[in-house]
Amino acid sequence: MKINPIYKKELKISARSKKTALILLGYNTLLAIFGLFAFYITFDSAIQNGRDVDYSDMLRIYSIIAGIGFGLVLLIVPALTAGSISGEREKQTLEILLTTKESTLGIVLGKLASSISVILLLAFSGMPILSLVFAIGGVTFLNLCQFILLIFVTAIFVGSIGVFFSVLLKKTTASTVTTYSAILILIVVTFAILLAIYTIIGLKQGNKYEGIFTEYENASLGNTIFLLLINPAITFFTMLREQVGDQAPVLYLIDSSTNAGSNFILNNWFYVSLITQAIISVFLMAGAAKLLDPLSKRPSKSHKTK
Amino acid sequence: MLQVENLSKRYGKSVQAVDGLNLRIAKGELFGFVGPNGAGKTTTMKIVAGLISADHGKVYVDGLDALYNQKKIREKIGYMPDFFGVYDNLKVLEYMEFYASLYGIEGKEAKRRCLEMLDFVKLSGAEDQYVDTLSRGIKQRLCLARSMVHNPQLLILDEPASGLDPRARMEMKELLHNLRATGKTIIISSHILPELAEICSSIGIMDKGKLRIKGIVEDIMTELNASKPLVMKFLERGERTMQCLKENRFVRNIVIQDNCISVIFEGDEREEAGLLTSLIKSGAVISSYKRESGNLEELFMQITGGEKDHEDKSDL
Repeated sequence: MKINPIYKKELKISARSKKTALILLGYNTLLAIFGLFAFYITFDSAIQNGRDVDYSDMLRIYSIIAGIGFGLVLLIVPALTAGSISGEREKQTLEILLTTKESTLGIVLGKLASSISVILLLAFSGMPILSLVFAIGGVTFLNLCQFILLIFVTAIFVGSIGVFFSVLLKKTTASTVTTYSAILILIVVTFAILLAIYTIIGLKQGNKYEGIFTEYENASLGNTIFLLLINPAITFFTMLREQVGDQAPVLYLIDSSTNAGSNFILNNWFYVSLITQAIISVFLMAGAAKLLDPLSKRPSKSHKTK
Repeated sequence: MLQVENLSKRYGKSVQAVDGLNLRIAKGELFGFVGPNGAGKTTTMKIVAGLISADHGKVYVDGLDALYNQKKIREKIGYMPDFFGVYDNLKVLEYMEFYASLYGIEGKEAKRRCLEMLDFVKLSGAEDQYVDTLSRGIKQRLCLARSMVHNPQLLILDEPASGLDPRARMEMKELLHNLRATGKTIIISSHILPELAEICSSIGIMDKGKLRIKGIVEDIMTELNASKPLVMKFLERGERTMQCLKENRFVRNIVIQDNCISVIFEGDEREEAGLLTSLIKSGAVISSYKRESGNLEELFMQITGGEKDHEDKSDL
């Protein structure tokens, strides 16, 4: 099987870079310290203080480690991808790439894949620490697979946003700022808008205002709730709730809609949102490839012959 | 090999970079593209390389419409831009193999081809050096090797010797000489006009988006020299020397300065020889008899109206 040459070259360069080694070391050190500290709190501290060991604490460790991994994707992937094409442009290597036989789709996919590989390497390298929870139980192998799937799809989703803006905007700084802004909008603004609508609906129906994460009786967002399918944070919290039963307040919105009437999407939110984000990523990558093609504005052959 | 028909490209509303350019370059030709900064050379080269779309006109490479056969044409073209960067943490051989793989050349064949090209540009032995540590001159040679890694039929070299010191420039010139012997069709833009005249089979001078003159270097030089005065230095002048000059039907504008006479002579070399014979017969003793020769740079200045800027001069 032919490996994408851009991907192969980027991997070679990043493997030689001290930065990658330091990120790996830092990430795993942080996770290890956190894991050992959690073990100490759960067992040693409980025994020394004469308390019973609360094994459910270990599941909290899983939630927090998974949260760190997920947060890392949201923080690092934009930084890796937002400069992927604009960086080539700034280094004056893009023109040469565009004159080769490699398609623009191949170029953007190679860039995305190499950025994701670094993140997946981090996620996999943290697996032994994440697997500490197996010692106690409560988290299954399937749960770990779901977590890896989430990291993978989120990295593709966030990465494709980064690559898209990297093609669209000439400067890496502008592209990075725009990518982080877009992710902020996806995570915070979509939720804030729906929360505001939900609260207004709830208050209109005669409920009394009792704080932002309040579930109002008979208030439902209807189909607008599906806007949250593109919110990776909601996907993450949905996964955690299914795995360890953590009740994140932000899921009230989905719950209110579920109460109003169950349907396939609401019942399979985790997988449906991953598929939605993957589909958007496909469109973003196709758009990036089209934008990168210097001759994309040429008239079609059929148009020409008319 | 390359045919450009009525090519036009405008940047914004005011800058007409290329204006109805027509150009035909035959297989195996080494074509020198000359023009001041902003003449439209780089834009034309980029359009041919598929990096910019033209507003109007057609480009055919080896008979294929460049707009609709990009993949096939990219295999036929090797492009070396005027400014380019290299990747950090990549060795010379890896750099070459990376570009080979972008053309689908992999494994042993890629290595063989890369080593062959490195040898061609005299970079054998530098395979394990990191590309970002190389000097500008070596990077230029490496980029030339890179542009040939897929054995293209048409090489587009945009200012391959710009910014090089005299030694590196000489090395590049030698490489271009060798390149001519490979039989590839080459388009090269440069400000180093005397060197272009030496290595190119034909040249085109571009200004303000238009091709002002195009032809075989020797023909252009002959045409240019035809307008140059014939200068004669006399040790002695015979009684009929001046009459002989005045009676010659090819002689115009006789200017006498001490023992030198310069005339505008409109005849060819044979007629020049005839004049010399008649002057000697007239009793003149001549120590020097030659036509002043023009150079490409002078022609360039004539055509572009002396607009060659200071930046260009620094490149010469």
